[in-house]
Amino acid sequence: MKGRWLFCMALILLFLSAGSFGAGDALAQAPDKIIIGGPISFSGKLAKEGEQGLRGTQAAVKWINEVYGGVKIGGKKVPIEYKYYDDESKRELTTSYIERAITVDKVHAVMSPYSSPLVLAGAPVAEKYGVVYINHGGASDRIHEQGFKYAVQCYVPGSRYHVGALDMFKKLDPKLKRLAFVYEDDEFARSVARGAKAHAEKLGYTIVFDRFYPKGATDLTPILSDLSATKPDIILGGGHFSDTQLLGKQIADLGIDVKAINLVVGPALPAYGETLGKLAEGIMGPAHWERGAKFSPDVAKKTGMKWIGPTQEEYRKLFKDVSKGVEPDYHGASAASGVFALVLSIEDANSIQSDKVRYALGKLKFMSVYGIWDVDDDTGLQIGHSSIDLQWQGGKKVIVWPEEAATAKPCYPRPTIKDIIAGKTCK
Amino acid sequence: MLLQQLSGNLTQGLILGAIYGMATMGLNLIFGVMKIVNVGHGAFIMLGTFVSFAIFTYLGLTPIVAIPLAFIVGFALGSLFFYFIIGKLTNAPELNSLLATFAIGMLIEEVTKFIFGSEWRGFTWDVGRVTLPFTVLPITKIYAFIISILVVIALYLWLRMTRSGTALRAVVEDKEGARVCGINVDRMYALSFSIGIGLTVMSGVILTFFISVGLNPYMGGAYTLRAFVIAVLGGLGSPLGAFFGGVIFGLVENGSYTLLSLIPGIEPFSLTRFVTFFILLIILLVRPTGLLGVK
Repeated sequence: MKGRWLFCMALILLFLSAGSFGAGDALAQAPDKIIIGGPISFSGKLAKEGEQGLRGTQAAVKWINEVYGGVKIGGKKVPIEYKYYDDESKRELTTSYIERAITVDKVHAVMSPYSSPLVLAGAPVAEKYGVVYINHGGASDRIHEQGFKYAVQCYVPGSRYHVGALDMFKKLDPKLKRLAFVYEDDEFARSVARGAKAHAEKLGYTIVFDRFYPKGATDLTPILSDLSATKPDIILGGGHFSDTQLLGKQIADLGIDVKAINLVVGPALPAYGETLGKLAEGIMGPAHWERGAKFSPDVAKKTGMKWIGPTQEEYRKLFKDVSKGVEPDYHGASAASGVFALVLSIEDANSIQSDKVRYALGKLKFMSVYGIWDVDDDTGLQIGHSSIDLQWQGGKKVIVWPEEAATAKPCYPRPTIKDIIAGKTCK
Repeated sequence: MLLQQLSGNLTQGLILGAIYGMATMGLNLIFGVMKIVNVGHGAFIMLGTFVSFAIFTYLGLTPIVAIPLAFIVGFALGSLFFYFIIGKLTNAPELNSLLATFAIGMLIEEVTKFIFGSEWRGFTWDVGRVTLPFTVLPITKIYAFIISILVVIALYLWLRMTRSGTALRAVVEDKEGARVCGINVDRMYALSFSIGIGLTVMSGVILTFFISVGLNPYMGGAYTLRAFVIAVLGGLGSPLGAFFGGVIFGLVENGSYTLLSLIPGIEPFSLTRFVTFFILLIILLVRPTGLLGVK
């Protein structure tokens, strides 16, 4: 009799513990809604990129809830709710808002802020609470070299940003030798520089100038005068939008003529051409995605990959709806891909338990409006997505590399500053 | 080659320094007369850059038109803020006026963001360039230098040659004495605050002649810090000292790059700020009141 009681008690305890720890029984843990959220910048110096990330997430959530019908878990479909806070582009707010999202809003996954330093600042908080951290805004390799278990990346890692451009220049002009590197002194740009340097050395280039400028610099004249004296063929550099704007303007101000300029972040955004006008002519830059990209359900089918999400045009419409008319750029598409990855991984795991979702994210490979998404199982580093290279030609952005994605031929060599000011274009 | 680079950087630094100096005169004028530190200073510079941007981009006019307009806008805003906020705090503890100017700065930033959005703005006003043996100078930068010098001369003449300028100097020297002599001190406060803000907003326009990109509602912070350093360097309360402090700041910031680049294994650009602050410390050790500051 006593043994039977003990057996019953043990059974009850086992049942209770399975329920309380949520050990994978989807029915026991299927929530009424999936809550995602976190900080994003819609004020401060990262507001432009942050707003794109916010709208991209909202567009993806809208598609999942209204078109896809919700996330399939435990035999039912549940909607996603997105909660966000303005981090004012500040590191200290990033960490406190992530903590708030996890402890107060009880999010099932954290959507990262924009920019590598903020993403890096937030990762330990998500890690502390064991919550999946969708890094849609940080390209630095270092974020995923820290051993964070729950972070997964959507961007092409920084170390690969300038790989395509260097391959392109090698093909366009194999005799080119002299490279100048002028990057912003921050985590992301340093990882771009490291990767570019390694690849340039592999291709046999000579690096004649390799300097960094401080974050927030408002005048780059001294460093550009120094660069000009080394007479490079190509300038590679940049960091974020405002400094690449400044680089484009002051390279023209100082009359520095080179055969090609390829800068990270700025040239990929429409505002770059709007502010620099004709001085943007011929300037190139890598991007993770661009309107007109050729990823579609048909391409996914041909390559044997799973497709999720709206088509390119549907995404553009959704994005413009949620942003009241703003055109999407790659920051938004990256965030949207993070939402799609999360949805598929929850469905694959049939669970919202972080360990199971993270495991499923590692095994996941799919295509969406953003392109291919596949992360390293252990580090969470993006390994499936490739960047494209854009160039400003005749006041418009065109895709010039890789050749299979190109919508125009690269304008090489870049017209001289004198010719550009006189009105000469790449067209 | 080294001499050529140094000459080039010093020339660029001289121009930028003149603009920095001009942009700090308003801050120093307000402090000199009212002993109020305008921590919202950078926001008014930012406002000037947006006046320039709007005039060029939306109205298609030359940014030179924006110079008097920015002064008028700044003067009007200065008067408004003085009569509704700052004027009521002249006898309050210093922290109150500090917080008030901080709040005003934030208000200016948020209103600008509401009107123009949070995007980075910019424009390209190109009227040609002059090629010197050691550097290339866009003509807009030469305009910026000349206009900065003219503004300094105008302010100097106003302070020295006019009745209101003399009255203002009297208030700076001895507030109670000036009151006894029949000078309306409160009116002088209002005038100095309005002119100070007017000059600051105007300096934002002139700044765009040097750098016309990277305009953002939150761009002012970097200029506030510079302005404080320049103000201390030139002598707190001395508008002319601020101008000379600015020139020294610009020369050291740009000129030190070339010399620092000779040291292997360092990033020269990151260290230019250190060199600038180091020189500030030395100047303050020799002259604790700054270059033209009064004991």
